[in-house]
Order: sequence, then structure tokens, then C-alpha cells
Amino acid sequence: MELPIILTSFLVSALIGISVRHRRLIEASSIAASAVAFVESILVSLKVASSGSYVPFSFFYVDSLGAIVMLIIACVGLAVAVYSVEYLRQETAKGIIGLTRVRQYFVLMDLFIAAMFLAVTAGSPIVTWISIEATTLSTAFLISFYNKPSAMEAAWKYLIINSIGLLLGFFGTLLYFIPLTSLQGSGFVSWQLLAANTAHFDPLIAKIAFVFVLIGYWTKAGLVPMHTWLPDAHSKAPAPISALLSGVLLNVAFIMVLRFKNITDAVVGVSFSRNFLILFGVISMLVAALIILTQTNYKRLLAYSSIENMGIVSLGFGFGGIGAFAAILHMIYHALIKSTLFLSAGTVLLKYSSTKIARVTGVLAALTVTGILFLTAFLFITGTPPFGIFLTKIFILSAGIKTHPAVVLVALFSMVVLFVGFFKHVTAMSFGKTPEGIKAGEGSVWLVVPPLALIAAASYLSFHVPGFLFALINGAAAHY
Amino acid sequence: MSIMALRLLLGIIFLTVVFLHLTKKNSGAVIAYSVQSLAIVLVLFNSFLETGRVSLLFVTLLAFVVKVILAPLFFVRLIKKNGLRFSVSTYLNIPLTLIIIAAITAMAHSQKLAPLVNIVPANHALLSLALSAMFLSLGLIINRKGALSQIIGILSFENSIIVFAVFAGLEQSPALQAGIMFDLFVWLVIATVFMSMIYRHFGSLDVTSMRHLKD
Repeated sequence: MELPIILTSFLVSALIGISVRHRRLIEASSIAASAVAFVESILVSLKVASSGSYVPFSFFYVDSLGAIVMLIIACVGLAVAVYSVEYLRQETAKGIIGLTRVRQYFVLMDLFIAAMFLAVTAGSPIVTWISIEATTLSTAFLISFYNKPSAMEAAWKYLIINSIGLLLGFFGTLLYFIPLTSLQGSGFVSWQLLAANTAHFDPLIAKIAFVFVLIGYWTKAGLVPMHTWLPDAHSKAPAPISALLSGVLLNVAFIMVLRFKNITDAVVGVSFSRNFLILFGVISMLVAALIILTQTNYKRLLAYSSIENMGIVSLGFGFGGIGAFAAILHMIYHALIKSTLFLSAGTVLLKYSSTKIARVTGVLAALTVTGILFLTAFLFITGTPPFGIFLTKIFILSAGIKTHPAVVLVALFSMVVLFVGFFKHVTAMSFGKTPEGIKAGEGSVWLVVPPLALIAAASYLSFHVPGFLFALINGAAAHY
Repeated sequence: MSIMALRLLLGIIFLTVVFLHLTKKNSGAVIAYSVQSLAIVLVLFNSFLETGRVSLLFVTLLAFVVKVILAPLFFVRLIKKNGLRFSVSTYLNIPLTLIIIAAITAMAHSQKLAPLVNIVPANHALLSLALSAMFLSLGLIINRKGALSQIIGILSFENSIIVFAVFAGLEQSPALQAGIMFDLFVWLVIATVFMSMIYRHFGSLDVTSMRHLKD
């Protein structure tokens, strides 16, 4: 019953947001829904860790990778829900938004998180597709939340590009159903059924289908060259939503590609899909690293860093073996740390009222704890030892050094360029003189606790991975 | 329904996409989309006649309400409210557009894509035409500068995928089809609201007028 409880709790919370005008109740219901989802996700993960998969009804299917992403959604979702309450209160106090906007925010956020949960737990690829489409629909208004021309533009771009991408993905998904045409129209085609019927799949059609699915879901995952919507959308959305978009949604979309990769690999062998993952992974890393050098907006900077990190994850799965294991760990670290960075960026934005790097100086003096969190998260995400991402990068690169030395060199170059670019911007923001009119001091402890909890979790996982999580990662990596 | 009737319907769907490329009036585009959707609904109705399953009739009715009635209604209201008689221009001129349409249609019929159109060998010609309609719809979204044309392009793309799925025997269960239709309806509402908001902010539905994301 865990999965229906998770979905119901978010739907109830959304209904409360629609029907009630009492702000505290709306906030409390959203946090409660996220807390329920957090507990239930841990229970589901424990079951998957012990038995390999969890199929409570034919409608749901959770495998190891799905359980890991469930945990990511639950952790980041809870932190974002808690942070959002104080963040929106401060925005209301500044006169930026009113109660209607607050209600709209929590309703859409609840639906967004519910859609992500459904996407990773749905037993049918079509239900998964509908859920991913639902994430687009629920977030479009969150991206245009501030109702400014630039936000409208970002939201429109997001809606159009993702809709086209997802329709291509839908077409690819349908092509995977060809071996099962006798079941069409009446049967419920599940992921397991697709995997079990690969013997009857024409290899050429499998390749075409994979390309369509790849374009479709990678558009959502923000990999180059379908990434153009991502920096705009992630920089214009409210900071907590950016954390969910960057830290969670990209992973949700990415694992859909991985699920279809498994089916395709069974038909045409592993090299076909791996070559795509390696090629687009390294291109994403390079493009993001070069663009970061010239960034003038710190939220866009973080968005481009997400593109780079999805490139690293893609590279890891492309290399396979230890690379896949490291890629899954990287996915977890990235989700936790990128959310920390976006939430910290939100606090910086509240203080400085600007996302321009040039207008934000002396963060360490004005927001000491947030500044330290931001700096530490920067060191973490760029792979500075002893943090976990340092190890995952080393493992991913070492997995490919023998077979793809040129790719590894380009990836290494991209990492160095990205570090230099990121370092330049972060130091400019952290140090120096605080602009006049900016008073020192954190706005509220509730703006600090959620990012602190996320970075603490990531740091803990850098040195110790709990047994059940290790089993999940091992179980997931074995398929790649 | 005979194969000739189905070919005629698919021919109508294909021609409406070509018309969408050429029309300069928003009302023309909306009418073309309505005709295309009606053809899709008739194709779905044929599936119901062949199987006799009542659930398929429900999906067909749902498609009729969303695609043939509600979508055009939303668009007509938007056009009237904002006085959007003419659609904004295209990136390519008409002769070039026609050349691209011919090239895309030829590509969809080429040997390279033979595995896709031979899924059901008896429907080879129909699947080629459906594939052409898909690619042309994609081209429409890329070539048009108007937000309304882009939205109609996406809906036309979705129609083309559905018709391809029907002729390739890839129809989903009625419950899933209803889910997809609901998704489409929500998408339609959101897209229409966004178009209104874009018009309010930019005074035009020309997407090239959106130039606020330069930082």
C-alpha cells in the first residue's frame, strides 16, 4: 500500500491547497505529504533491497534504480517542502507574491512531486510517459510563477521543446510495443513484459525506437543538444522548484532512457546504446563547461552545472561496469548537492534581490552559514576531494580510459574548465565587500536547515553507504 | 470501413498538414486542424466498428469532444479575443516550404525508413503517409513563428502519431488512451492560457518577439 499512500497524500495536499485559504494549513499539508512520502519511500526501498523488485499491484513496478530515484525524490522533496514555507513567507513579506500565488505554488508542487513518484513507480511505459508529461504540465506555471516576460518566455520554451521531445519519446515507446501487437488494445503492457519479449523484436526497429526514446526523454533530462530550455527554465523558476527540476526531474527522465536501454541492449547488444550515451555525455560536459566560463547569472550557472553532471552520469552508464555503479552514486550526490546549491541560491536571492553574479558580493559576510554551505557544495559538486563526487568521477573516467581514452581526455578537460569557471564565479560572489544596504544575517533558520540536511546526507554518503542503499546500487548497476 | 475509405481519411490528414504549412490565416489553421481531428476520430471509430468494444467508442467520443470541439473552440476564442486574424510569418518562404514538404514526403517513403512502414506490410502505403504527416508536422512547428501555429503543429504531430499507431496495430488499451486524451486536454488548456499570457506580455503571438532571455 506504500505507493498508493504516497500518491494519495500528495493529491490530498493539492486538494487542500485548492479548497482552503488558510495558509498554515496549506503549508502543513504539503510538508506532511512529503514526510509521508519520505517514510514510505524508505519502506519501499528496504523491500526492493531485499527482494530485487517490488510489485504490489500490476499497476506498479519498482526496481532497484526506481527505488533509488524514489529515495532521491523523497529526500529532496521533503527538504524543498520545508524550505518553500519560509522562502514564500519572505517573498510575501517583500510584497513579491500574495496568498493566491502561494496556494498555486503548493498545489502545483504537490502535483509535480506526485507525477515524479508515479513516473518511477508505474508498471506501464505509457503510464510513465503520461506522468512525465504531467511533470511538464505541473511545472510550466511554476516556471512562469513571477509572471515576468523573461519567465513567460522560459516557460513557453520549456512547454514547447519538452512537448515535442516527449511526443518523439511517445512514438519511440509505441515502437517498442511492436513485438506485442497481439496484446495491443486490451492488455496492460508492462516493463517486464517488454523485457521478456525482446526475442521477437526486429533489431533495426529496436534501434530506431531507441533513438526516438533517447531524443524524447533526453530532452527532458537536459542533455546537449536538446538542453536549450533548461538554463532558462531552471533560472526563472522559484529557487526551491529549481532544486526539484535540477536535482530530481533530470534523474527521473534519465532513468526512462536507461530502462529502454536495457530492452534495446537485449535485442541489438550493448554497444549501440552505449555509444550514444558516451557521445552525448561528453558533448554535454564540454558544452556546459565552456558556457559556464562566461555566465553572468548564478542560477543559470547552476543549471549548466546540471547539464555537465547529467553528461557525467551518461558517460558512466556508457562505459558500463564500475562506471555504471559510479554513475548511480553520482546521480545521488548530484541530486542532494544541486538541491543544496539551488536552495542556498534562493537564500542569496532573497537577501540580494538579484541573480546577477556581478551584483552579489560578500555572501560569506552577509550570509555566513549559507555562504559556507554554498562554497562547500561548490567544492562537492566540482569533485574536490574528499567529497564523494571526486571518487565517482575517478571511477567513471577509469572505467573508460582503456576503451575510450580520447573521450576520457575530453571529459577531464571539461571538468577542469568547469572547475575554473565555477571557481571564478563562486569566489567573486563569496568574498569581497557586501553591497550597501545589505544587512548581515540569515533570514531564518528554516532557510538553512533544509540545505544543511541535504549536504550533511551527501557528506555522510561520501564516506559510508548504508547496506540497503549499497544493495540497491549494486542491483541497479548489474543491469548496465 | 473499406481500405479505400481509410486511405481517403489518411489523405485528408496529410493534406491538412500541407495546408497548415501554407495558410496565412489563423482561422484557416484552426479549420484545418478541426478537419484533421475529425478524420482521426473517424479512424478511431473504425477501430470500434472492427472490434465492437464499447470502451473504444468511449475513447472515440472523448477524442471527438477534446480534438474536434474543445480545441478549435479554445483557439477561436483566443483569435476573437485578441483579434489575431493573420498568423505571423514563417522562417521559409512558400516555394522553399513546398520544396521541403516534397523532400520530407520523399524521405518518409524512402527505403531507409522501410522497417517502420513495413510493420504491417498490408498498410505499407498508409504508414508511409502517416510518417510523412508526422515529419511535416514537426517541420510546421519549426518553420512557424506564431505561437498558435506551433501549438497546432504539436497537436497535428500528436494526431499523426495516433494514426500511425492505429495502422501499425499499436493502439493502447482504452484506459490508457483515455489517460493520454486527458493529458492532451490539460496540455491544451495550459497551452491556451500561455498563449493569452504571451499576448498580454508581448502584444503579439510572434515567438521571435520574445527576447528577454539574453543573460
